[in-house]
Amino acid sequence: MNLVKWKNNDLLDPMNEFDRLQDEINKLFDWNYPENRGLFDRSLSPAVDLVENENEIILVCDLPGIKKDDLDLSISRNVITIKGEKKNELKKEGRKTFRNETWSGAFQRTISLPETVDPEKVDASMKEGVLTVKVAKREEVKPRQISVNVK
Amino acid sequence: MSTQEMTKRKRCVQPLSEIHEEDKKVIIRLEMPGVEKKDLNIQVENNRLRINATRKESEQEGTYLLRERNCVDYEKVFTIDETIDRDSIDAVMKNGVLELSLQFKKEVQPRRIEIKG
Repeated sequence: MNLVKWKNNDLLDPMNEFDRLQDEINKLFDWNYPENRGLFDRSLSPAVDLVENENEIILVCDLPGIKKDDLDLSISRNVITIKGEKKNELKKEGRKTFRNETWSGAFQRTISLPETVDPEKVDASMKEGVLTVKVAKREEVKPRQISVNVK
Repeated sequence: MSTQEMTKRKRCVQPLSEIHEEDKKVIIRLEMPGVEKKDLNIQVENNRLRINATRKESEQEGTYLLRERNCVDYEKVFTIDETIDRDSIDAVMKNGVLELSLQFKKEVQPRRIEIKG
């Protein structure tokens, strides 16, 4: 469970929180336009998918607007760390900002992979703001097919 | 848009956006990871700027141990007023971020007035 930033500044009106909760719950059922805010806020750590198949563990991470060079990926044994910084190039002097739902700054995410991975065989690629890391499993844990000659 | 219309369509999310204004243009930045340039559709109809994007990423094969990403299509509609020049809207897609720049019409751009005499 991630900690969710508490965004309501209106301390004088506690009932406000109940309204907000109701909103959040309504949003849950609003299948068409879920918002990426509130309870579903991903502003502290980027969203990650982790998939396991026979040969490898695949980690997919949404990192829009982050260049390859600003990203630092490291693995030690079975713990993988994605570190990076997202720079906001649009915020400049002489510009008026009307809306900013995005976040910028440094982030870090550490994920424990299953023990069966081989930290030597890692393959990472970045495409259209999506990072895909493939970590191979150790040879001895991969399912093998052994043919048995029946006489 | 009526609720009925909304439920008929495919499920989509609104991308996170930023809106900035400069002297001569408005810059809109939308975060749409996983969208390629060819999967993007930007339309202007009357006073609406509609951005649609399909995400063609296929699911990875295997068992999902963690699923936080929301792999659905994107849609965002902005209402633009008459000060925006419809013919000079630029769009750049890079690293999963779409940057639109909407120029103001010449007549609403600030201009210097010469003082005679």
